[in-house]
Amino acid sequence: MAEGPRRRLALLITLLAGCAVLTVAQLIKVQIVDHRFYAHWAEEQWIRAIRMDQPPRGVIRDRDGCLLAGNGVRYAIEASPAYVIDHHEAAKELASVLHMPASHLEAQLSSRDDNGELRKWIRVSQSVSKEVGEQVADLKIRGVTVKPLWRREYPERHLASHTLGFATSETGYYGVEGFYDAMLQPEPVEWVGPVDVASAPVPWEPIAGEFPRRGVDLELTVDRTVQALVEAELERALQEYQAASGTIIVMEPETFGILAMTSLPSYDPEEYPRFLDEDPVPFEDPAVSKQYEPGSVFKMVTVAAALDAGVVTEDSVYHDEGWIEVGGQAIHNSMRKVYGDQSVADILVESLNVGSAWLSTRLGADLFYEYVQGFGFGDVTGVDLAGEVPGQLWLPEDIEHWHPSNLGTNAFGQGIAVTPLQMTVAAATVANDGARLRPHVVRRRIASDGSVSTYQAVFEEQVIDPETAQTVTDILVRVVEEGATEAKVAGYRVAGKTGTAQIPIPGGYHPEDTIANFVGFGPVPDPKVVVLIKLDRPQSSEWASHTAAPTFSRIMVQLFTVLGIPPAGGELAAEVGS
Amino acid sequence: MPPSRADQRGGAERGCGQTMSGFLEWATHGVKRGRLEFRSRPMVVLTVIVVVLALVAAVYLMLVSRTAAQGRRIEQLQTEIFRLQRENEQLTVEIAEVTSVLQLKERAAALGFATPERLEFLSISE
Repeated sequence: MAEGPRRRLALLITLLAGCAVLTVAQLIKVQIVDHRFYAHWAEEQWIRAIRMDQPPRGVIRDRDGCLLAGNGVRYAIEASPAYVIDHHEAAKELASVLHMPASHLEAQLSSRDDNGELRKWIRVSQSVSKEVGEQVADLKIRGVTVKPLWRREYPERHLASHTLGFATSETGYYGVEGFYDAMLQPEPVEWVGPVDVASAPVPWEPIAGEFPRRGVDLELTVDRTVQALVEAELERALQEYQAASGTIIVMEPETFGILAMTSLPSYDPEEYPRFLDEDPVPFEDPAVSKQYEPGSVFKMVTVAAALDAGVVTEDSVYHDEGWIEVGGQAIHNSMRKVYGDQSVADILVESLNVGSAWLSTRLGADLFYEYVQGFGFGDVTGVDLAGEVPGQLWLPEDIEHWHPSNLGTNAFGQGIAVTPLQMTVAAATVANDGARLRPHVVRRRIASDGSVSTYQAVFEEQVIDPETAQTVTDILVRVVEEGATEAKVAGYRVAGKTGTAQIPIPGGYHPEDTIANFVGFGPVPDPKVVVLIKLDRPQSSEWASHTAAPTFSRIMVQLFTVLGIPPAGGELAAEVGS
Repeated sequence: MPPSRADQRGGAERGCGQTMSGFLEWATHGVKRGRLEFRSRPMVVLTVIVVVLALVAAVYLMLVSRTAAQGRRIEQLQTEIFRLQRENEQLTVEIAEVTSVLQLKERAAALGFATPERLEFLSISE
């Protein structure tokens, strides 16, 4: 071989060998010496937290399986302007579907960041309907994505809004939504793994974790038919008696499950942002979050306590002089009437303040408040609803607040604040042979795997003996039949008590406004429902016997029909026969 | 004059111990003859290694592509599940809306039904 080619070949080989050495050296540097740096750099680019599509929040149904809170689908329209090829054409196509000005959309799609580069991501529309979202997806515009979103929907609109509460896209507030928020929330599945250029997980990497689970479904004790009729009656009562607001609770005394619970004014939970500016915002459930002085309905607690403690019997007689002094304060009957000799039963039938104070003083403070607490006052009932308050009960040991006269005034429902639910629970305790259970709203929980947890009644306390409860019930039947006759229900024996409570204001009580309330149950002797009616500031009459009592009667008539409870004694059957 | 086969073998056996000129002599002997000449045994070994590596690579590629295809299928199924889930939830809400108490009351009223003013229970004897 000639010298020239040989030299050139040698040079070439040397160069190639040099390149190979350099390449190998670089490889060693990259793969071994700087391995950590480059590995970290690579991971930063293609390892991401990946979140699988969010499953829906658990739904809420009534006791018959009717949907009260479900999940609708909405779409967010997003775009990556940097990937959109023809901004003008894309804007035009989007405008035809989104009904937005094309110029505005084009400006959005052509928007640039601080560095003058087209933006990587913009949100074109926060939330559009399912139909519009699907139309946008069908356009298949490069760089425009359609992201499905869950939206909480309440197909019954206002129905049971306070009991249900509401939910944003992430969190539940108030009522069942608030109380069971953690349970209703879906379980998201998130893991860290490699992604492709579109930030989607690469298909050859196995998915870490399980398929995401939807939230737990809840089945309530609420019956939507009962709820609807109760809401209609409350609306009617507010109009008829020109009351500012009101609350009705319907409870099953056997289980303390709430069949219906409503307060007005209410709100549409689906449109909750519209109510944020109202003062006060109507989200709190007055049935559990607002307290009031119950007035004479509380006398049933005093009489039950006195009878159960054995300090008096139903027929014990006291002499009513129209007033009594307790703790240095004179207590009078309503309208300052004097009744003379009266039995314990008459204290309820005639609604005597003096008689009630006489009973509480016979019991003594310790025993009286022991019973009051036994009925559940002064503490939360433990109902599974968000925002429950304990009411206000001053005990003798609260030396700053309690005064000896409280023993007398508390006996007829003054100087004590209760929630409507607490008062309902007290009446249900009498109806349930003296046993107090924990009130509840959810009766079944259904997990995403289909497993069902059924609510087990929680026994709280045997407050009074069954015999005492029966005696009190009989007296309360007399109250309806002889006193608050507007609460009577033809063909049925119902028990109940009216209460016209004054509204405390700084320095005393409001001179005109009252709270009319009635709590009762029926049919006696086997009560199936306890109903509390509370009307705030009725203008047509200040007396509960003219407002709350007839509302109770109308509701009971419908309840007995809807719940299939026949009248006792064949009274109506005979009527039909004749 | 081209080197004999024995010279070639001997040159190769001397291998890396040779000087640069000796190495070039060995490396370019085929060029001198107008064609590259390789020894058959190392070639066979090399070929086998290449074939085995190619097979391993092919099997690996096949497995990766199948895994990717399966992964893609799983992804599509998941997307379909989510789509059906959304469809289901939406339909459930829509059904609930058209059977809501308010809607039923309106429809009943439109059909001429009214709330009864008086109820009578019949006692049915045996």
